[in-house]
Amino acid sequence: MITTLAKLKGGNFAVIKEIKGGHSIHHRLGRLGLHPSDRIRVIRNGFFGGPVLIEVHGTEVGIGKGMAEKVEVEVEEQ
Amino acid sequence: MMKIALVGQPNCGKSVLFNSVAGYKTAVSNFPGTTVEYVCSDVCIDLEDFELVDLPGIYSFSSPEKHELLTRDYLLNQKPDAVINILDASVLSRSLELTIELLDLDTPLVVCLNMMDEAERKGIQIDVEHLSSDLGVPVVPAISIRGQGIPELFQAAVEVARAGSKGKSFHFSRDVEEKVAELMSFLEETADAVRLPARLFALQLLQRDMEFEALLRKLKPKLLLDVERLRTTISEPHGRPSDMVVSSERHSLAMNLFEHVAVVKPREKRSIRDQVDKYIMHPVLGYVILGLVLLLFFSLVFTFGKIVETPLLALFQDLSGYLSEHMNRESLIFTVVKGLVEGFSGGIAIVLPYLVPFLLCLSLLEDIGYLPRAAFLMDSIMHRIGLHGKSIIPFVLGYGCNVPAIMGVRILERGRDRFITAVLSTFIPCAARTTIIFAVVAFYLGPLYAVLLYLVNLLVIAIAGKVLSRIMPEITPGMVIEIPSYKAPNVRAVLNKIWFRLREFIVIAWPLLIVGSLILSLFDYLQLSEMINRTFSPFTSGLLGLPEAVSITLIFGILRKELTVIMLVQALGTTDFAAVMSNEQLFVFTVFSLFYIPCLATLGMLRSVIGNFGMGFALVVNTSVGTVIALISRIFFRLG
Repeated sequence: MITTLAKLKGGNFAVIKEIKGGHSIHHRLGRLGLHPSDRIRVIRNGFFGGPVLIEVHGTEVGIGKGMAEKVEVEVEEQ
Repeated sequence: MMKIALVGQPNCGKSVLFNSVAGYKTAVSNFPGTTVEYVCSDVCIDLEDFELVDLPGIYSFSSPEKHELLTRDYLLNQKPDAVINILDASVLSRSLELTIELLDLDTPLVVCLNMMDEAERKGIQIDVEHLSSDLGVPVVPAISIRGQGIPELFQAAVEVARAGSKGKSFHFSRDVEEKVAELMSFLEETADAVRLPARLFALQLLQRDMEFEALLRKLKPKLLLDVERLRTTISEPHGRPSDMVVSSERHSLAMNLFEHVAVVKPREKRSIRDQVDKYIMHPVLGYVILGLVLLLFFSLVFTFGKIVETPLLALFQDLSGYLSEHMNRESLIFTVVKGLVEGFSGGIAIVLPYLVPFLLCLSLLEDIGYLPRAAFLMDSIMHRIGLHGKSIIPFVLGYGCNVPAIMGVRILERGRDRFITAVLSTFIPCAARTTIIFAVVAFYLGPLYAVLLYLVNLLVIAIAGKVLSRIMPEITPGMVIEIPSYKAPNVRAVLNKIWFRLREFIVIAWPLLIVGSLILSLFDYLQLSEMINRTFSPFTSGLLGLPEAVSITLIFGILRKELTVIMLVQALGTTDFAAVMSNEQLFVFTVFSLFYIPCLATLGMLRSVIGNFGMGFALVVNTSVGTVIALISRIFFRLG
């Protein structure tokens, strides 16, 4: 199922399909290790529009809601 | 002398390594981006003298960040004899991307696999020899915080520098590599003329690096057409702009290399970190803990400060009592001695008792790795005032001193966020202004009024944030922050850091404080204070309803806020403020001191971080907000 990072739940595994937006967004996510075709694990998804906490390549990264909406992912079936 | 530069991604431990051989010269903490300027030191290891340079962390060569450009410019223009690339072994796959870029630099390179213990804990096993042969450069495993591997690392660096040996360049997939080679052949002459590695030049151009594009426009503008053509031929088959193609090529090279040299064993049980984070970053408990942490933080600082301050103040009061008994009170020499003693004692008795525990607690919070977690929690709240979570870090620092807070805004990516956060940081009551709140409002009007002041302060910050973010609308969609693993604070590192920051107070602020106190004393002697007070009296007594004598203290407050209370004692001629000022006056005085013109050091820092305009802007905003809030509190006192 294709959705955005912002909609995932804690415990979900997903593969990044596409990062929407310009150069600067690609760059900012890329420097912390998020690229298309990378596999991520959602640790927890914030509430009240809070950020999403994910694990990617062994690092934990917090991503604000607006930013997470730009990341299109494919959720893995559990 | 040989020059060796330390390069690595943020928070990989460069500064720890630097300090361990160069003595304590730069601040270290557990959040990315602590080093924002480069620091050099002459060191001697194994009878070999060389200059060691600690550069700000960079994620990649094509980063738009200002301080990352500094690192790149240094590497390209200063041409170090060797580069030590420090990698956080626990995030090896990501770190290797920078290593691949550094290989194109054509400078002798050594790779240091730092934090090997952390990697082991994560179940990452790295075949060091394999990595070394793949990269074609020496690879030295290390745990820099414990000093492990450091002698070997520098030995290797000196060796590659002497031999001038360079690593292997990595090649992209064929279709992209062909275009890179084509561009390199066009660029060769031009690159040689400016002593730039051709491959690096070509790759930066394909990645739409503005700086290199401008350089080419200056050197050989007609080549820009070829660059544009090659960008298009690269981007077309991939359906993505060429910069993305190049960066994802590099990413997959790094991933392949990682798989080649490392094995990740699945962790059997959840680590302690996950267990702790479950509470620390919990959607409800997390905020409770954050509140408790801050409460504990400030109550520890103030309890300790109070215990030390009271006897010290009494001691110095005895001393000045003794002096005024045994000296001619009208003499110039008494004036000078009195000024010096008051300035000196102000530093010891009023500032240091709070500053030392504050810096200690802050260093602990920083080094454990709590601040990025606080940023995570505060993200949605900070969005309400048009900022995002990371801004909380400078704000917290601001309660100690606005100067490091403004320095700290450099961790924010966007100029707009840096500007707003820097301006708002100046509203945060720093340790010095906190002493005014405590010594004047809490002491005479009661702690409730002090709490009220803090709430008013937060409200003003929120409103100002809202207004500023309306004026400068947000363009980026938000925060991206690395949450580092918890680290046990290293006692030596913490003590060093406290000393490093304390030294700044002792050598810069304290002398100013002493001189300020001396000048005020002399003003009194020459009866100049009265003239100044009279000049400003339409504002201070007319508008704000304060005693005329306080004008001079407010002026000295601009020098250092620490001076305000000391000067108030001087100006009023008594330590019992309530005897000469009404509650309304005490409150209005404190409110105004809290908001008006920031101290000189803060202004200087504002100027260097957000420029002259920013500094002037903050100056005007602060003074007008201070006046307005002071007037409102006056009205409230009249009504109540």
